[in-house]
Amino acid sequence: MLMIAGVTVAVILFGIGLLGMIFRRDLIIKLLSLGLVNGSVMLCLVSLGSRANGTAPIIRGPGNTSYVNPLPQALVLSAIVINFAILALALVFVMLLVEHYHSTDSQRIEHEIKREKEL
Amino acid sequence: MTIIVLLPLLHFVFAVLCLSWQRGTRGIIVAALLIDTILLGALFAVLDQAGSISITLGGWGRNVGIELVADRTSLVFAFLTLFLEGSILLYLWREHLQPYFFMLLHLLLGAVFAVLFAQDLFNIYVIMELLTLVSFLLVGYGKRPYQIWASLKYLFLASLGMGIYLLGVAVVYYHAGTMNLGLIATQLTEQQDTTWVLLASSLLVTGIAVKAGIFVFSLWLPAAHASASPAVSALLSGLVIKMGVVVLLKLAAIFPLSGSLLVLGSLTGILGIIYAITAYELKYMLAFHTLSQIGYLLIGIGTGSKVALSGTLCYAFAHGLFKGLLFLAAGSAIQATGKKDIRELIMERSNISLVTRAALLIGTLGIIGLPPFAGFCGKALLNAGTQSYVTQIVLALLSFGTVVSFAKLIPLFRFKGGGYLPRTKSLSFLILALPIVLFFPLTHLFVPAWQWQTSLNISVFIKNLVVIGMGILLARPIANHFPHLEKRFFRLEEAAVVILSGFFLVFLLLLFA
Repeated sequence: MLMIAGVTVAVILFGIGLLGMIFRRDLIIKLLSLGLVNGSVMLCLVSLGSRANGTAPIIRGPGNTSYVNPLPQALVLSAIVINFAILALALVFVMLLVEHYHSTDSQRIEHEIKREKEL
Repeated sequence: MTIIVLLPLLHFVFAVLCLSWQRGTRGIIVAALLIDTILLGALFAVLDQAGSISITLGGWGRNVGIELVADRTSLVFAFLTLFLEGSILLYLWREHLQPYFFMLLHLLLGAVFAVLFAQDLFNIYVIMELLTLVSFLLVGYGKRPYQIWASLKYLFLASLGMGIYLLGVAVVYYHAGTMNLGLIATQLTEQQDTTWVLLASSLLVTGIAVKAGIFVFSLWLPAAHASASPAVSALLSGLVIKMGVVVLLKLAAIFPLSGSLLVLGSLTGILGIIYAITAYELKYMLAFHTLSQIGYLLIGIGTGSKVALSGTLCYAFAHGLFKGLLFLAAGSAIQATGKKDIRELIMERSNISLVTRAALLIGTLGIIGLPPFAGFCGKALLNAGTQSYVTQIVLALLSFGTVVSFAKLIPLFRFKGGGYLPRTKSLSFLILALPIVLFFPLTHLFVPAWQWQTSLNISVFIKNLVVIGMGILLARPIANHFPHLEKRFFRLEEAAVVILSGFFLVFLLLLFA
């Protein structure tokens, strides 16, 4: 149950993130959508490792065998770090662009760059 | 065994050293080159005996731990890395760059070695993301607005692609219970129901294709590679793009991808050529050619015969060499004249050093595949590796298009006195130009002799010469009557949509092929 719910939510979030990346012109919102896309993938990975009535994968003595799969959780941990780095660096670059063009509108920036090139 | 751990890891050490010991940058460069050469020599000796070696890190066994494997393929790409590393570090010898640039360079090289030996889907994900981050920073190093925008676009699309790839990894892990490529292959032979492979492999291929420079997916590539500084363009185009191809090679060994890779290869080859013919900005043209030459590699992987795979290796090696040389030489020509357009460069060719123009000429001869040069060997093997006439016609068309597009450069080579070029840059051109000229003897190290006997005959020579001659003759009429091409796809939003539709394309191809 938990797994199906998790995957469904992940797919919906993935879709929302994608739509945000495609249709919103603001670069900051685009970045947030990118974070949403990557976050949904991690949710999917974690929920695939879940199991009914599973506990956290910490083994205390014998008898506790119904813990969830720890491997996806370890993987998602590294994926979170990677995506943090990506978002942070991308924000710095957006900042540099804003300093130059005073706008976060992707189409306007694209237009300005095209014009500068023709000059 | 420890060699394949040391090769990536030492570069990360050098990266830290570059920052902490800033006065010794040149010493670190020389040390890195020496150590890489020694390690690769040792690896070559070991692989010559054993065929392939592997090591499992972390003490967890193959199922959970990280396995590193080195074989003939990774060795070829490792040598390509060494050549490009030497040439680029020499090219940058006299330039005043911040230590942080060299740190990024070493991180990039370490990540490249790590991809070559990676045998685990998630490990590949982490390294590819590292490559994305490092090349993003390298493209934007100049901090000009157009560079920043190109690199930001790259980061958006590549990160989206890697998200899709990670979904594929999740699907594989759920069904196969492992991420080790070798163990997945055994699972596939044991399991009855393998319908999940369709979804998993289309997600994985789409994700990697964004990074591998395949036309419908990698629409960020022309802007990013054209706006980066020369050395960075050479590295990105010669090396980083190949890492996507290496991953595709690994995936194609276990998933049934051959039909779809053939179609994708023809698509990226032909579309890349079409855009390259209409591009008159030198670096843009070279970037479009990167897209088109990846087509050869995909066709080779898709064909899948032993000869074709050798051809892919050969051509990947050759492409790394000549594309690196072309980007370096183009960069120094543009620096010498301040012009980017090919027609303006031709007008001012007296300011470009003779060495630079000779380097451009050798690179061009390599890419169009004139017989003894580098491109020819790969093309001959690929041609002999396939039985299907359609593939052979596509390969001939690609060669023809390449010649037509590069014919624009011919007036640049007409003799006229030249400007000055520092000696280190000439040497860096030489490091790449020499193996291009002497490529055929070099290939005997990794292509068995029987493959040459089956693929080299008079008809291949004649075919190549005819294609080149026709290309040069027809170049002008074709260029004059070329229709206007749509450039809108290269914007950020449209490129994201195209990646999505590319996913459905791959899914359908895998379903029916």
